[in-house]
Amino acid sequence: MGTMLKLDKVTKIYPGTDFRAVDELSFELEEGEICILVGPSGCGKTTAMKMINRLHSITSGKIYIDGQDVSSMDTIQLRRRIGYVIQNVGLFPNMTIAENISVIPNLLKWDKRKINERVHSLLEIVNLSAEEYKDRYPRELSGGQQQRIGVARGMAGDPPIMLMDEPFGAIDPTNRDHLQNEFLKIQEKVKKTIVFVTHDIDEAIKMGDKICLLRDGKLIQFASPEEMLTYPKNDFVRDFVGGDRTIKRLNLFSISKVKRDDPPLIKASAGLEEARGTLSEYGTDYLVVVDENGRLAGLAANEDLQGKGETVADVVQRTNAYLDGTASLKEALSEIFTHDTGFLIVVDGDNKVSGWLDTNDIKKALKD
Amino acid sequence: MTSKVFTGLVRKGLPAIITVAVIIFLYKTYGAWEYTVENLPEFFRLTFEHLLLVLITMCFSISIGVTLGTVMTREGWEKISPVIMAVVNVWQSIPSLGVIALAYGLLPFIGLSGIGMVPSLIAIFMFSVAPVVRNTYAGIESVSSDIKEAAIGMGMTKQQILFRIELPNALPIIMGGIRTSTALVVGTAPLAFLIGGGGLGFWIFTGIALVDMGIMTAGAVPVALIAMLFDFLLEIGEKMIVSRGVQADEAQLAAL
Ligand SMILES: Nc1ncnc2c1ncn2[C@@H]1O[C@H](COP(=O)(O)OP(=O)(O)O)[C@@H](O)[C@H]1O
Ligand SMILES: [Mg+2]
Repeated sequence: MGTMLKLDKVTKIYPGTDFRAVDELSFELEEGEICILVGPSGCGKTTAMKMINRLHSITSGKIYIDGQDVSSMDTIQLRRRIGYVIQNVGLFPNMTIAENISVIPNLLKWDKRKINERVHSLLEIVNLSAEEYKDRYPRELSGGQQQRIGVARGMAGDPPIMLMDEPFGAIDPTNRDHLQNEFLKIQEKVKKTIVFVTHDIDEAIKMGDKICLLRDGKLIQFASPEEMLTYPKNDFVRDFVGGDRTIKRLNLFSISKVKRDDPPLIKASAGLEEARGTLSEYGTDYLVVVDENGRLAGLAANEDLQGKGETVADVVQRTNAYLDGTASLKEALSEIFTHDTGFLIVVDGDNKVSGWLDTNDIKKALKD
Repeated sequence: MTSKVFTGLVRKGLPAIITVAVIIFLYKTYGAWEYTVENLPEFFRLTFEHLLLVLITMCFSISIGVTLGTVMTREGWEKISPVIMAVVNVWQSIPSLGVIALAYGLLPFIGLSGIGMVPSLIAIFMFSVAPVVRNTYAGIESVSSDIKEAAIGMGMTKQQILFRIELPNALPIIMGGIRTSTALVVGTAPLAFLIGGGGLGFWIFTGIALVDMGIMTAGAVPVALIAMLFDFLLEIGEKMIVSRGVQADEAQLAAL
């Protein structure tokens, strides 16, 4: 994994102005990383991004892609090697979805069969059925669908680098959240090096491997989301990430990293007598009941175990106090508060109990 | 579905039926039918000349108009485009009879005859090119900057952007200009007769001069039919060359 993108003291002064829209910006990105350019409106995010594919000229400084100085490359060739996705999507209305996606492959003179395969696989990646959508026109799609096609089109030429300027900015919050998740899943598969512009710090924290926070064209802090939330460099960063930094950090941890592996388990087939013993051993209010295969069956409280019946299966109560290990600590916290169990059961994809956690575990995770 | 077909029929069919009825009525009343049949060879010659006049002028109007309109949108031409627009607008604002008279009076100064087919073509062209220029310019300008930015950012050359993005997306508006222009051409073509340009204007003006409604109608009715024919052809042409993605759809049309 080498350095894919390097900015070296890049400065932009627009002709006819005397201020630096981007001021000696330097950072490096590893292959496969998403870097989020974030900051208040007018801080130079778009300008910085557009110098990479030379939609804007560089006033001074150098930009290297894979070690090659972009100013030494032919602009047209350079742009064909860089995926470009913009806020207002900019799908070509006169072309079908398939034609839109094949623009770059066509410019790169791929052969017909390869292009056709590419269109199908990209539509599959962005979760739209090829049969249904490839011959439609952009105006026949919803905003969210268009944005997905925009992303597919940006990836079509299999570019090593993608530039995305507020790609989800025009989409309503619910759909945006959905598209972000989907995009992260896609990125998991394709591992592109991505420069992503947003003015939304929450989006930056969610999407970024690195966050590049700008103000007045200057780099204020370049760090991973976790580092930026934990160690904001100065008051500006602290203000920008917001007073709820701690809550935001909860988003960064998945519960599988924090859970404890020793939940108070009892088999559904166990006798009540045995269960009472186990409960007092653990000292909890509830026991987690599992079936023969370790799958979650429910909970059993002390009162339940005093009741009639022979085995735990006779007294078990169903429960919603569980989450998949991939969920974030933020979700975990809100689940813990909605149930009176005092802890949350962690399950894996097969509904097998893999651990548990309570508020203390979350506090501890935020401390170190 | 059936209601769609029905409204389509009403929209297209009804005017056609009414027109045919009016034509039959006119032909019967004024004896235009007899006159046409008696002078069939002349009818064909005049119709042919007339069609030629319209077709050739349209070719020039479209090719030169689209070119001028496109040039006006190119970088570096911002200064000249108002001049081009002003000139073609003035050409259109002169009454059509005036343009014909001007061609007759001015062409001899540049060494061309003021009489015949060529001056007629030039005059009708001048009178009719403005809508094509205007709509081509407006059409290309109306292509959203997002679309153009996406195209540039994807590494398309200026030429590719013009031919694959700008012109195809401007096409519905350009076609509108071509239709207006065609209407102007068809409407002006009869005047060509006045400077020896031939065409069905011969019968119309003869009819007027002799106060013979039969002769006049025998010329005027085919002129109207030719206008309708061209409008029809343009509509079909538009369906064929304008991408479905930018065509005004049926619902929009029905609302007009
Ligand atoms: N084409 C331009 N000409 C002159 N100034 C510009 C141009 N584009 C942007 N600017 C200025 O440069 C600064 C940075 O703009 P921009 O990169 O668009 O900011 P952001 O994307 O962070 O909102 C702003 O002050 C803006 O007014
Ligand atoms: Mg911006």
